[in-house]
Amino acid sequence: MMLSRDGIAGLVCLALSIGLFALTFGLPPAVMVPVGPAFYPRVVILILGILSVILIVFDVLAMQRQRAAAVAPRATAATAGPAPNYRLVLATFVEFGVYILLIPLLGFRISTFLFVLLLEITLEWPRSPRHWIVMILVAVATSLVCFYVFEDYLSVLLPRGTWSGM
Amino acid sequence: MKKLLALAFASLISTASYSTVSYSGSYPDHAIKLIVPWAAGGDTDLIFRPLLPLLQKYLGQPVIIANVGGASGTVGEREAANAAPDGYTVFGAHDYIHSVYFGGIIDIKYSDAFEPVCLISSTPSVITVGAKTPWKSFKDLVADAKKRPGQIVVGASLGSTSQYSIALAAKAAGITFKYVPYQGTAPRMNALLGGHIEVADSNLTQKSKVDGGLLRFLANMSDKRTEGLENVPTLKELGYDVEYSVNRGLMVPKGTPAEVINKLNDACAKATKEPEYAKALLLQGTSVRYMDPKGYAEYLKKTDAQTKDIAKSLGLLKRE
Amino acid sequence: MNHYELLFTHIGTVLHFQYLIPLLVGTIAGVIGGALPGVTITMTVIVVLPFTFGLDPLQGLAAMIGVYVGGSAGGSITASLIGIPGTPSAVATTFDGFPMTKKGEAGRSVWVGVWSALIGGALGGLCLIELTGPFASLALQFGPWEFFSLFVFALSMVAGLVGRSVTKGLLSGAIGLIVTIVGADPIMGVQRFTLGIHQLEGGFPFLPVLIGIFAFAQLMPDVELIGADEQAIAARPTQMNLKVSHLSVLWDILCRPFMLLWVTIIGIVIGVLPAIGGSAANIMAYDQAKKFSKRPEKFGTGIPEGIVASEASNSANVAGSLMMIMAFGIPGDAVTAVMLGALTVHGIQPGPLFIAQHPKVAYGIYASYLVALPLMVAVIWVGSRLWMRIIMMPKAMLIPIVLVLCVIGAYALGNSMNDVYVLALFCVIGYAMVKARIPLAPLILGVVLGDQIESNMIQAVSTDADPWLFLTRPISGGLLAASVLSIALAVWQHNRETKRLAAAAEEEFDTDF
Repeated sequence: MMLSRDGIAGLVCLALSIGLFALTFGLPPAVMVPVGPAFYPRVVILILGILSVILIVFDVLAMQRQRAAAVAPRATAATAGPAPNYRLVLATFVEFGVYILLIPLLGFRISTFLFVLLLEITLEWPRSPRHWIVMILVAVATSLVCFYVFEDYLSVLLPRGTWSGM
Repeated sequence: MKKLLALAFASLISTASYSTVSYSGSYPDHAIKLIVPWAAGGDTDLIFRPLLPLLQKYLGQPVIIANVGGASGTVGEREAANAAPDGYTVFGAHDYIHSVYFGGIIDIKYSDAFEPVCLISSTPSVITVGAKTPWKSFKDLVADAKKRPGQIVVGASLGSTSQYSIALAAKAAGITFKYVPYQGTAPRMNALLGGHIEVADSNLTQKSKVDGGLLRFLANMSDKRTEGLENVPTLKELGYDVEYSVNRGLMVPKGTPAEVINKLNDACAKATKEPEYAKALLLQGTSVRYMDPKGYAEYLKKTDAQTKDIAKSLGLLKRE
Repeated sequence: MNHYELLFTHIGTVLHFQYLIPLLVGTIAGVIGGALPGVTITMTVIVVLPFTFGLDPLQGLAAMIGVYVGGSAGGSITASLIGIPGTPSAVATTFDGFPMTKKGEAGRSVWVGVWSALIGGALGGLCLIELTGPFASLALQFGPWEFFSLFVFALSMVAGLVGRSVTKGLLSGAIGLIVTIVGADPIMGVQRFTLGIHQLEGGFPFLPVLIGIFAFAQLMPDVELIGADEQAIAARPTQMNLKVSHLSVLWDILCRPFMLLWVTIIGIVIGVLPAIGGSAANIMAYDQAKKFSKRPEKFGTGIPEGIVASEASNSANVAGSLMMIMAFGIPGDAVTAVMLGALTVHGIQPGPLFIAQHPKVAYGIYASYLVALPLMVAVIWVGSRLWMRIIMMPKAMLIPIVLVLCVIGAYALGNSMNDVYVLALFCVIGYAMVKARIPLAPLILGVVLGDQIESNMIQAVSTDADPWLFLTRPISGGLLAASVLSIALAVWQHNRETKRLAAAAEEEFDTDF
């Protein structure tokens, strides 16, 4: 069966609601109030489930109509502009994820410096030595300025690293 | 290029000022984190916050508050219980630690997870009613409640101190109420003002609304009349032998060295004696009540037993 | 009058350096953030957020109000000069602003926008000051039934109005509600759906969720385009002559007082309606101005009315949103949702008693708002050239910095990495939703209101076990009827639109949220 993004989103939400609904059976009965802790979640989960089904049904219907009319699928019509650069998006996500995992190990300052620099050169490879210097300076400045402004003026203690001790 | 990178690294490393972690002898040598398990600006937060600069004065290191709210205060409690017992994480607790254990909300028994450091404050509970209600005194309320048991609507954080206070008074007077969940003093007062609930626990902080005729204080649950509430009778005067107040103190994770606890307690004893702290607390309807680690431990044992009794009578006792 | 005495005292307070500096910095950040294409006001206020934790509540709010006011106006600069709306609330400004610039009247198009924002904002401010009090007294009469129904109404209306599919709008709202059922239940603290993970016991905290949802969702569309639109960027002008006679600009605006008033009212009303915000206000106002104009055919060719309608309404919209958050504690849009979060961090719960309990903060908000307006004009006046330079800052540098600030913002809430992990999780969810073309605004409102919907529902049934009270209490019943109506209306409108567009090639707009 062909599904567009809508249908896939619907399926994900439907799976989520079924899973969560199963979990509500482990919840205790009501104490002191007329409805228990499972009541409201069940209502909300049901609503989500019903909406997901509607979304899937609409999508299937739309797909059938499209096939009947032999129109090109919507997805291609939508991307009239330049093709999105998903490699960069993925890279950004991965680098961001690694950054977050590294903060408790390397500490805020080192990991921020590395993250900013790496993401800068991922998004735009420096054209000249001068460009390199600017990017490194931006990375150093982001890391240090944030650290001192937050620690010294805004009483936010940023994380220290367990490996680096700073 | 490499040079530049190396330079950048060097500058990063050289700026690490206080990074070493050691607590022997020189405690404290860096900032201390005080975990308050409720949101900033709440009653508990406003009682611990003015203590910070005073503690800092006597400890010589900054004390920084971390509001770790959520799940009736148990998220912060768990974080504090799991922290390293080095004296750099302090837990700002109040009497809820007993009720959340007995109510089955958290599996941490305070005495297994924490060492008491000092008790710092006491906030007497005041039974408060809305201006639209007919009761002018606690006796009126009792008489009415006897006529229609379980019908008068009380707003409270169910299973927490604001319910236990009213429940204790109700038990002493032989009456029953209907409890509706309202978390936090501010929402309870909104509901009282709007007439959506009839009775709630509050404290001196609501005095301006009482003076303005929007609310009425019926009884003070302190053992004797307290500052600012000279016109409000205590339950003891009215012939009910109960008292209830919410008491707050400092604890550290179990296993913290004794000398660290002593240092914290010394600072705490001095800080709570400062007149400016008493002044700050009065704004929160609270008075300073200092106890040393031993006194606090005994006090905790007593309230633990009392909480268990109330939990049992409310049908909330989930474990011994 | 006591009310105005208080107001003037607080204007005096806000003029002190202590508050003026955050306000000014916020305004500058707002103008820049608003002007940067791809960086919305929401994003800017998220970036400013971590800086406000260490400040006192009013300082923090002053900074955010500066961002809000500055951003609403800043968006018009880019809209007028390069034809790209700096924020979604300036979309309609491009319709006439850019053609005017192309006619060689760049200065006029920018300044008509800026002065309209000032005037619309000032009119909105008047409403804010006068009507918040009565609104709050109304809110005090609301019991749990009424609040429950109000929240349901807010959600259904937002779900119906944003995006192109009612189902997806509602789905987004439902996902928001799902987010809030994780963790301890609001009544007895029973753990739900935590799967035994202790970190989830406190539930998903609102601000990390919000930052996460918006961070990648708003930045990644720019990343997707890197390498694709470099020519377009290179073609943008960096220097323009913005000199203009301000008197003639003011005449452009004031010569149609009724239209000005009408679009301002539209802006305020849309601000008061929960979570719709400036992105709807400017388009609706533009549409109205066109309908009531004597020369509708000229709209879109570079006439001042078009700019006035868009800018006056989105500026007044700010006042409407502030009104709603102060009286009911319900955010009028994503920016006020962040403000609500920031207030809660400082322990201030906006709601019916907010003005009475925190007069300093409440009047401080009024005062900051009133001071921010002229400040915004001054900031644009003095710095227009400089801001244009900054707007050209390469995305490759901007994006990493914004992401670092997002991490700090999440971390600083509770000095805990947990919140940062929540942030990361919702970054993924937010981006996935953008790709599935599910609008984000209903989700945010769902997260804001979720616990309150449940609490109020349980309060209502524990006070009186009769569930029909939700329908039989007049205000509550009316609001529920309005919810059903708003969804029905949205479905009807949507169907009509689909039919109208059926022939036309299907065009995908990236709805901002």
